[in-house]
Amino acid sequence: MQAFLKGTSGQSTKAQKDKAAGTSGEKKPKPVPWVEKYRPKCVDEVAFQDEVVAVLKKSLQGADLPNLLFYGPPGTGKTSTILAAARELYGPELYRQRVLELNASDERGIQVVREKVKTFAQLTVAGKRTDGKPCPPFKIIILDEADSMTSAAQAALRRTMEKESRTTRFCLICNYVSRIIEPLTSRCSKFRFKPLDDKIQGERLLNICEKENLKYSKEAISALVKVSEGDLRKAITFLQSAARLNGENEITESAVIEIAGVVPTKMIDNLLQICYKSTFDKLEIAVKTMVDEGYAATQIIGQLHDAIIEESLNDHQKSAITEKLAEVDKCLADGADEYLQMISLCSVIMQQASQGN
Amino acid sequence: MSLWVDKYRPTSLGKLDYHKEQGNQLKNLVQCGDFPHLLVYGPSGAGKKTRIMCLLRELYGPGVEKLRIEHQSITAPSKKKIEINTIASNYHLEVNASDAGNSDRVVIQELIKTVAQSQQIQSSTQREFKVVLLTEVDRLTKDAQHALRRTMEKYMSTCRLILCCNSTSKVIGPIRSRCLAIRVPLPSMEEVCGVLTSVCRKEGLLLPGELAKQIGEKSGRNLRKALLMCEACRVQQYPFSADQDIPETDWEVYLKETANAIVSQQSPQRLLEVRARLYELLTHCIPPEIIIKGLVPPSPDQGLVSELLGNCDGHLKTEVAQMAAHYEHRLQLGNKAIYHLEAFVAKFMAVYKKFMEDGLDGMMF
Amino acid sequence: MSKLSTGRKASSNKLSSWVEPSFGDLFSGSGLNSFDLKKGVSLGETKSKAQKTSTDPSSQRPSKRRPFPPTPEPLVSSGSEQSQDEPWVDRHSPCSQVELAVHKKKIEEVENWLKLHLNVKSEIKRGAILLLTGPSGCGKTATVQVLAQELGCRVQEWSNPTTVSEFRKEDVRETFDPDSRFNGFHGVSQTAAFQEFLLRANKYSHLQMMGEGETSGRKVVLVEDLPNQFYRQPASLHDILRRFVRTGRCPLVFVVSDCLSGSGSSRLLFPRDLQEELGVCNISFNPVAPTSMIKVLSRIVTQEAARSGSRVTAPDRAALDLLCTGSSGDIRSAINSLQFSCLTGCSPETTPWPVKKGKAAASAARGVSKARSKSKASKGSESLDSTQAIGGKDASLFLFRALGKILYCKRESCTGPEGPSLPAHLSEHQRDTLLVDPELVVEKSHMSGELFNLYLHQNYLDFFSDLEDVARASEYLSDSDFLTAEWSSRSTMLEYGSSVATRGLIHSNSARARADNQASVGFRPLHKPHWLLVNKKYRENCQAAQCLFTSYCLTPLSLQTELLPYLAQLTNPMRNQAQIAFIQDVGRLPLRKYPGRLKLEALTDRDPGTLDGDSEEEGAEPAVPAPTGPGPGETGGDQGADLPASQPQPTMAQALLEDEELVIDEYDSN
Repeated sequence: MQAFLKGTSGQSTKAQKDKAAGTSGEKKPKPVPWVEKYRPKCVDEVAFQDEVVAVLKKSLQGADLPNLLFYGPPGTGKTSTILAAARELYGPELYRQRVLELNASDERGIQVVREKVKTFAQLTVAGKRTDGKPCPPFKIIILDEADSMTSAAQAALRRTMEKESRTTRFCLICNYVSRIIEPLTSRCSKFRFKPLDDKIQGERLLNICEKENLKYSKEAISALVKVSEGDLRKAITFLQSAARLNGENEITESAVIEIAGVVPTKMIDNLLQICYKSTFDKLEIAVKTMVDEGYAATQIIGQLHDAIIEESLNDHQKSAITEKLAEVDKCLADGADEYLQMISLCSVIMQQASQGN
Repeated sequence: MSLWVDKYRPTSLGKLDYHKEQGNQLKNLVQCGDFPHLLVYGPSGAGKKTRIMCLLRELYGPGVEKLRIEHQSITAPSKKKIEINTIASNYHLEVNASDAGNSDRVVIQELIKTVAQSQQIQSSTQREFKVVLLTEVDRLTKDAQHALRRTMEKYMSTCRLILCCNSTSKVIGPIRSRCLAIRVPLPSMEEVCGVLTSVCRKEGLLLPGELAKQIGEKSGRNLRKALLMCEACRVQQYPFSADQDIPETDWEVYLKETANAIVSQQSPQRLLEVRARLYELLTHCIPPEIIIKGLVPPSPDQGLVSELLGNCDGHLKTEVAQMAAHYEHRLQLGNKAIYHLEAFVAKFMAVYKKFMEDGLDGMMF
Repeated sequence: MSKLSTGRKASSNKLSSWVEPSFGDLFSGSGLNSFDLKKGVSLGETKSKAQKTSTDPSSQRPSKRRPFPPTPEPLVSSGSEQSQDEPWVDRHSPCSQVELAVHKKKIEEVENWLKLHLNVKSEIKRGAILLLTGPSGCGKTATVQVLAQELGCRVQEWSNPTTVSEFRKEDVRETFDPDSRFNGFHGVSQTAAFQEFLLRANKYSHLQMMGEGETSGRKVVLVEDLPNQFYRQPASLHDILRRFVRTGRCPLVFVVSDCLSGSGSSRLLFPRDLQEELGVCNISFNPVAPTSMIKVLSRIVTQEAARSGSRVTAPDRAALDLLCTGSSGDIRSAINSLQFSCLTGCSPETTPWPVKKGKAAASAARGVSKARSKSKASKGSESLDSTQAIGGKDASLFLFRALGKILYCKRESCTGPEGPSLPAHLSEHQRDTLLVDPELVVEKSHMSGELFNLYLHQNYLDFFSDLEDVARASEYLSDSDFLTAEWSSRSTMLEYGSSVATRGLIHSNSARARADNQASVGFRPLHKPHWLLVNKKYRENCQAAQCLFTSYCLTPLSLQTELLPYLAQLTNPMRNQAQIAFIQDVGRLPLRKYPGRLKLEALTDRDPGTLDGDSEEEGAEPAVPAPTGPGPGETGGDQGADLPASQPQPTMAQALLEDEELVIDEYDSN
């Protein structure tokens, strides 16, 4: 079976809950979220992240494992990789004893780091598995979403990490390595997880489609790949949603786009054309229509940003527009009105475009 | 007699007047048995709530329509008592947690916990989960949204959430990624007209096509508003005539007058008068952001040329749009809306005056 | 005279003398032992009991004061010789109409009311209620006492019982209201006691009169401090009053100081509908006019000087004027200040009271009586100008002036051409040197910067003539609010916020950039800010809308902007009364009329309550823009145009400042 990658762990907890619900629900077996169902079971199945896989494989063959720091965008397989590795290292029985997984959903103040992590780290372990196979004489503590830990908690971790280095390995997982304090990063081997290649994503999606007996169009898959922007988990979630909503019908490109909440490219292009060529009144109508269609302004400006970068404007114009984009994004985050912000953004684009010519 | 809006609200997914395909999709969703958390979003008056209620009916049968209003009082850890209104049936609970202001986090956690832990009253029902419907999720504090994300995972086995909001911009990413997002766009002009006509037919009234179209335009495709307008038209005059005046709400007229006052004269005295009018609007429950938006009309297709933007040329409009966005943002963050409203008006006056003077000069030479 | 003052002195120990409790408390702080003893006699003692003891034969009261025995027994009876720390307010409290510093018409009104309702034959079986309101120290209680005395009736007064005598000491020192720390558990019993007092005073009026002979049946019940419980549950008071009105026989007089208990206590306790229902007569007192104040002060000075010889140094006329100004219509505070200023004997310096030595005098006074200095501290007047060192009310002196200082922004013409000037392209920002320090002004106004900004915002437009300037000024106000938006940093940013607002306003008024072209504005009346009221109303209405229309299951936004306005236009019968009323009130707007300006409330406006109360109704209809009542406009006209620029003249100051203080109290307590 093909392996699938999984990024940050929020989803995993949900998945576990789902599983729990599935086993307890007597009426019918609960469908498991696909992200969970198609999660990689061993390190070999993790694709596209060759360096990490190489290091982990070595440790599977008996070499020591350094402390790890995985970083990269969501949905690139960070959590899946370490989980798969741990499973392979310890086997299903020892797994529970040897691996402590903490993610952002758990309370992770300085107190937790001091007590829970410390207690766990202090347990000594043997170098043998119950089934007689050898296993490394250390435990693994996985700290998911480590960048959301306070720096005080991170600092507390530093000492623990050093003291317990004999028996415990840490694996820190985060999106932004810059939010991990320097002393921690220097104690870990850093691995960057790249956004997945479109082709690989496409392959995996197709694979799932076959397994689930879905009807799909080629365009739908490529649209999925496009809207998920290298985030495989997102792509799989979207695929499952599309399957749920469409029942027996074919999954089409528009269905995918709809579920992702993405504004159709045509609309964005149309908006830009109006900004370049038309009058303010037309612009107002266009923006109003977009807002009425229910598209989120954050989504629109994200897509506008991508489009603007590609447009044939000069650098000065682009910088002025992107600056405004940033401002609008901030205002939206503060709760400002979407329509007014969009209008003000588009009028800047309009102004810049007219100045350039 | 209830309002037309309520009287003719469709009650099942199959009877929806528009977005029929989406209705079918929702049906599929219910049938596939694996019901995720939902995030329903779209502009006001697009029919989000209607769809949610239809969906619930599809899930649980007509029992969900037996609604009762409950006053819940929740004690926060800080011993503060929070009173909140909820609307509940045996199967679901609807709450607008943003009513609780800064204590919304506690409300969410406690309510969902209560719902999730209480057993389903009727064992005959085929669902082992209850639904909590949270409205206005976009107005929740960030704190509450993060709490929501945990709660969603924790009680997944016994409880599903349907979140309802106008825009996903203000909903944090982790929540969006945990929900199946359903966008409900406004109905098209034709759809609005169609609904109006059919409602009137059910009332035994004859609605001329032109009037329906006008109502549709005036309402900005907001179906709720359109129906209210239509009913107001009925009160005003029947039989309908194609060219009758569509009654506007008092505040809209008042706002228009205010805009006229601003455009017709620019002076500190006039600003003082405008301030009094702004106060007047505020005391009549018109939120400040609506006021500022109303001064800059949302769409010229409403035929309102009198509002501020209508009187400006393109360049000036750009400037005004920037100002409006700027001050509306401040208004959201600040404490005292009047400062920002007034600053906006003052700025507009200054800009507009200059514009007019330049225009006059231009004409003279 | 000395004999009379002995008698008066006796009464001074009681909270009920014409001093407000504040000073009574302080006094009892110095004469504490006896007071404690008396208070310790019984738990839950009520005034009526106290009165029984007070009428015992051991009374030293001269017989001519017979008809005026409401106050209890002299407690410091040994104090017949004049001690330094006996407040003059007590010694010189008025004993005839002539001595009252209250306007004749007001006295007449009260007198007429009393006469009408004291007349036993008039067969008015209803208990009548009179409500006296006004700022503290304007002679409300004194008027009642004096009139009662002249009409030959007894004043029976309620005072809040205290139960635990041991606590009395600290209590008295720390708080003006002896109840405030007990109300948690005494509220109910106090309420009961109060009810009993009122209703029994009614029933047994004749019995109690037995010993009094000639005054039989003529009695006025006076209530000055109400149990705190009533402030929380005005309804319970209303019930008692209704019962009183039904069964009562003697007139009941409530004395409520406007500012004493914060936000519009008289409005809270005696809402207008109740006043109408019970036929309550409301007489509102004004602050004491400076002329009558001067008269009283001079009388006291002469008497004191005559009595004590060299120990009292009589202040000259100018000093009296100054006291007058400083007290802003509070005669009690004025007399207190007068006493301090005359105290030369105990001051280390022997200099007679001069303007400059205010601080020295104040510190000397502090030495004399701790309690007194406490009173000053508690009034928050730590930043006294030397000239106002002794005036009790000077803290509030600054709001009106502070606003004026910012808005008129006096400038000094440039010292010469050699001063650094801005380059040409910035020349529009060139300003002459400012004569005021905005931060200091705000600080001295004793308001939070935010509140001060609101005042500025309400008033700044009148001082601007150019629209560009207005735009810039309003931008600064907006900036200021924006600065304090972030909750976590608000406390630090507040000061910057007020700095930005005040300096921004000053700077952007380009018409007043130069010292030489400043005079053009002339006098402009100042007004109270509307925003607080508007905002409160907005929130209340939104909440009410939510509550009343829950069944429509709408979000607040669509409820307020769509449903309600349309419901107002529809004829939908499925509504209850509250909903109909609400829709009529909120869903409708006054259209096609002259812009419905909220009624402007001049800062001089007498009634402090109107600010947060019913001006909504007035707001809903297009009100006449002109302020009612004696606005500063009229007063200002008399005084001349240069009036508010720097030092307001006494009349102005009193009228305006007293009022401003009320406002401060209101919002501080929120």
